[in-house]
Amino acid sequence: MSAGAVSRRGRARVVGLGWALGPPALLGVLFLGLPIAALAWRAGRTGALAEHATSAFVLDALRLSAITSTFTLLIAVIVGTPLAYLLARYRFPGKWLIDVLIDLPIVLPPTVAGVALLVTLGRRGIVGEQLDAAGIDIAFTTTAVVLAQTFVAAPFYIRTAKAGFESVDPSHERLAWTLGASPLRAFREVTLPLAWPSLLAGGILCWARALSELGATLIFAGSFQGRTQTMPLAIVGAFESGKSVEVPIALSVILVCAAAAMLVLLRLVTGGVSRDAHV
Amino acid sequence: MFSVDFTLRLGDFTLAPTFSGGDELIVLCGPSGSGKSLTLQSVAGIMRPDEGRIEVAGRALLDRAAGIDVPVQARRVGYVPQGQTMFPHMTAAQNVAFAVRPEDRDRRRAIVADLLEKTGLTGLEDRRPRQLSGGQQQRVALARALAADPRILLLDEPFSALDTALHGELRELIVSVQGARGIPVLIVTHDLGDAFSLGDRLIVFEAGRVLQQGSREDIFFRPATRRVAELVGARNILPMTVRGIGDGVVALDWAGREIAAAIYATHDAPPVATGQHVEASIRPTQIMIRRQGDTYEGRRNVFLATIASEIMGAEFYRLFVRIDGSPAAHDLEIELPAYTYFRLGLDRHKEIELSIRPEAVHIMHG
Repeated sequence: MSAGAVSRRGRARVVGLGWALGPPALLGVLFLGLPIAALAWRAGRTGALAEHATSAFVLDALRLSAITSTFTLLIAVIVGTPLAYLLARYRFPGKWLIDVLIDLPIVLPPTVAGVALLVTLGRRGIVGEQLDAAGIDIAFTTTAVVLAQTFVAAPFYIRTAKAGFESVDPSHERLAWTLGASPLRAFREVTLPLAWPSLLAGGILCWARALSELGATLIFAGSFQGRTQTMPLAIVGAFESGKSVEVPIALSVILVCAAAAMLVLLRLVTGGVSRDAHV
Repeated sequence: MFSVDFTLRLGDFTLAPTFSGGDELIVLCGPSGSGKSLTLQSVAGIMRPDEGRIEVAGRALLDRAAGIDVPVQARRVGYVPQGQTMFPHMTAAQNVAFAVRPEDRDRRRAIVADLLEKTGLTGLEDRRPRQLSGGQQQRVALARALAADPRILLLDEPFSALDTALHGELRELIVSVQGARGIPVLIVTHDLGDAFSLGDRLIVFEAGRVLQQGSREDIFFRPATRRVAELVGARNILPMTVRGIGDGVVALDWAGREIAAAIYATHDAPPVATGQHVEASIRPTQIMIRRQGDTYEGRRNVFLATIASEIMGAEFYRLFVRIDGSPAAHDLEIELPAYTYFRLGLDRHKEIELSIRPEAVHIMHG
């Protein structure tokens, strides 16, 4: 028996493959880490990063991304929370269909989502035609950006929130009723706090997905600076218009920072959940 | 005061209990799966019976015929479910405060402090469930149920997670709470010891029905049927034949021996007739023993016997005895305190004399 297989701190024995796993694992870490490092290195070498980062082109994209992703999150929470609770608590005919519908945008290429939205809400779409007659235009507006992001990102919130509600024992709710709490109060003071970490995690996932949305937005909303050109679209736009490579680098660094911040937040939130669950 | 009379169908299972009680401790006992917990949940309003009526303190909580079905939150029941009972995200004080009624809101702090003190939880106000023992959590749940000022208290297996010492404490707490509040307290338990020591009134359940209800003496010493006797732990259930009736006793033939059973004036069982085959139960703790040779005359139901085998418990010894001349491996089971066992010298002398009071011989009907 090799002594190396036994941990010194008296924990349970781990897989005995040891160093054979090292090289491929290291390769994987390098492959994932190197591009991010390269981006940081390039941004550091480019002296005028701050100048690019505060150009109107970048600031417009930043502002639009912040506004649209926040609205997307709001819509997802307002519409998605009741839907998630419904799916977690009730059984009804056709429920599987709703489950599939919610999962579909997650697996669909975002460009397909864009096309689908266009044939629905575009000027000649099945709903868009009616709206157009009433003088309402949605396609290629900031509203279209929010709708494209919502279509693609809301399912992430709904899925996570549903799992969160499912993890709350319904007997807690029933017990709250017997103690004189109305169903609304039981939901607010018992269910919601218990499902809270999942709702928060779902919200972060949804927001991150909205922030990175490109394909659906490009097709359904186009790429107009200040109106529909969010940060991912601005990166594509900067390359296409032959602007200096420093602009997309500046945008990318900002997005990487935002994404990393959200992931850390997610870790803190869900890490807190699993710690609670183990006690 | 309360009464329960409803039918609840769940798949193949039909729960149709009929019982009632006053402002006292009422124990619901019976095998698991007999519908005791579902009955509590139906009173609480979590389960909705298909038909019938539930009344508490003169108010109908459910009356399907009259279209009455009071919503759960308006029933004013203090329900303590089995198992994990505290809201996991709230402290002990917050758990109790949750149930304080809106009209008592300005007295909330005083009510919570008072209840925590009465349940012996002072100093633990800010603890969360995982920082509390099972017994402490159980007491928080009880305090919380009382905070809603209930008209009836429903406790589902309150002792199941507790060790012996905490068990006794909680039992005393429940008795004192019932006394102080003067409301009916329904307790589900499978523990016969708890059932006997707690229950002013016992309701015996089996397969969704009430087999018998009555005082603890009725249920334990005068079970109506063989099944109830078995459920409350009777161990000497013996086939007998009626020889005659008179002189305040029923004379019975027990495998050729004569044994007398007392006739209870209060017992509303149907009368027996001479020649009828019946079953009688004799509780293992109701048999007196002395060593052979110490016999004196003038007693009824005296038998010479031999100890065939014995099981030693921590406090009680269980003896399996054979009546002298009997072909059976053993005829009766007797339980006696360890002290008595040694006092009588039964560790050395296995020849004994039994004497059974006629009051301890109970004839069952069906």
